[in-house]
Amino acid sequence: MATATLVLTRVRIRGRIGLVLRVALVLAALALVAYPLLYGGDVWAQRISRAAIYAIIGLSINTLTGHAGQISLGHQAFVGIGAFFAAFTASRLGAPLGFGLAAAALAGTVTALLVGMVALRVTGLYLALVTLAFGLTAETTIFNWREFTGGGAGAFAPRPALVETDFAYAVLCLGVLALVLYADWRLVSTKAGRALAAVRNDEDIAATLGVNVTGYKLGAFCLSGLIAGLAGGLFAYWNQVVQALDFEFQVALVWVLMTVVGGLRSRLGVVIASSFFALLPLTLPNFLSGLPWQPPFLNEAVYHVLPPFIVVVMLLVVLRFFPGGLGQLLAPVTGPATRGSKGARR
Amino acid sequence: MKRTGRQLLKVEGLGLRFGGLQVLDDLSLTVGEGRIVGLIGPNGAGKTSCFNCLTGVYRPQQGRVFFDGREVSRLPTHRRARLGMARTWQNLGVIESLTVTENVMLAQHQRTGYSALAGLLGLAGTWGRERELRRDADEIIDYFGLADVADERVGELPYGVRKTCDMAMALASDPKLLLLDEPASGLSPEEALGLADTLRELRDRLRLTILMIEHHVPLVAEVCDHVYVLDFGRLLTEGGPEEIQRHPEVITAYLGGSHGTA
Repeated sequence: MATATLVLTRVRIRGRIGLVLRVALVLAALALVAYPLLYGGDVWAQRISRAAIYAIIGLSINTLTGHAGQISLGHQAFVGIGAFFAAFTASRLGAPLGFGLAAAALAGTVTALLVGMVALRVTGLYLALVTLAFGLTAETTIFNWREFTGGGAGAFAPRPALVETDFAYAVLCLGVLALVLYADWRLVSTKAGRALAAVRNDEDIAATLGVNVTGYKLGAFCLSGLIAGLAGGLFAYWNQVVQALDFEFQVALVWVLMTVVGGLRSRLGVVIASSFFALLPLTLPNFLSGLPWQPPFLNEAVYHVLPPFIVVVMLLVVLRFFPGGLGQLLAPVTGPATRGSKGARR
Repeated sequence: MKRTGRQLLKVEGLGLRFGGLQVLDDLSLTVGEGRIVGLIGPNGAGKTSCFNCLTGVYRPQQGRVFFDGREVSRLPTHRRARLGMARTWQNLGVIESLTVTENVMLAQHQRTGYSALAGLLGLAGTWGRERELRRDADEIIDYFGLADVADERVGELPYGVRKTCDMAMALASDPKLLLLDEPASGLSPEEALGLADTLRELRDRLRLTILMIEHHVPLVAEVCDHVYVLDFGRLLTEGGPEEIQRHPEVITAYLGGSHGTA
């Protein structure tokens, strides 16, 4: 009897600590974003939008690779098609922003569904190759289709008055990120999360437990494509012009690796790593040109190849020391928070 | 405890070939409702392959499978599971990266009562339903004495506990038919006989029907109403457990000629 009470109190305390910790984490994250957003001017507002868009892309890859265990090296196609659809509806059809984002999400979903249908037949390395080939093909075909993408000049996506300022647009991007984070949280907390964990580990076991393996794999592709398309739409209005070279394979490679560095299935880790790689190309040239000594092989021309190099180095470090990614490093902080909530529910 | 019920599972002329290897050859068997039926045979006789054909993991080239009054030969695995077929696995059907509670809740997949999309959107009904599922899972976990490890990842638990978790999962799906693949392997002789009581209790309380693959002869003799003996993919013989143990062909094929009276 005494032990039961003791356990109950401990569970309750753990639950409460968990709640306090989570609230503290959310407040800290908000403060971290709010400060530069409020006091950093347009430059930082733009950067925060870009970080949020990258985080959404990271969560899209996390859905597919982290939750469903399917790899995609062609994510630039999903994001790019979303971006071009948004730009097309904005500039050609004069559609409102909400419609543009919905079209982008739908385009991403449909594209991912098509790739997913192929993915049902191949796994692992072959799936990586199929998605890689798909991404490269999309780059050279759809993205260079002049009537649709405006060719080399790109397609324009003017922002509507409501989100015309960089500040307002950053708030919009953060709002969408919050929605995606919410969906990811509910996904792992409900039946779909458990079903995907089963599919990821053993498809025969999953099926024997009544999980429609085919359906869940396709569903994961669709959801990943939807989020990627949405990110593409946000990118279109953020940059206000979309060009094929915004979606080169190199970018997709960074996206996949940044998600792994952040830690598959770790929301916080993915968001942090994605933000880091979103800001890296913007801050790195300034940082390098500010150095007292310039290595002769570093110049403006090679700056854009540095992020892929840096992400690979980080990947090696992460895989060697924290196979769970940044998320594993953050576990001492986030672990009690999530475990506490479980204790409270029990 | 014999019941004269209808046939819950009926298999007709099952034939399974892998390339040139005939794994199952014209195998027919029936399992009456509320009975505990044993499937025995030497290693490589095709027992697990038979389970894989019943659940739809393998697609046999010949034969038909009837379950609960309808033909399920063409149904995919998850649809058969939804009709009330549950199984345990020889190398354990647990998901190692999930906790014990999450595994049991995963096994409740087909009776969550909300769609994956509703859960993803966090619609109102899903929160309460999740709490109910967790409560049901806790009940099952308590029944199997897993409460102390409920929040541990299954991959970090010892074999025996994982095996218990596998059994808990099979029951959590609320099945009509339970297919057990060597439930006593890895258990001590005393534990194996304790399993006999558990199986009988499950059958009587949950009105389950059980088909089990088992090498542990005392358990089979103790608990099974009827036994099928498989050898090289063919049905060698069938009968009551005492009958089977006296059958000369079974003694040669299965006990390898050593005339042990188990």
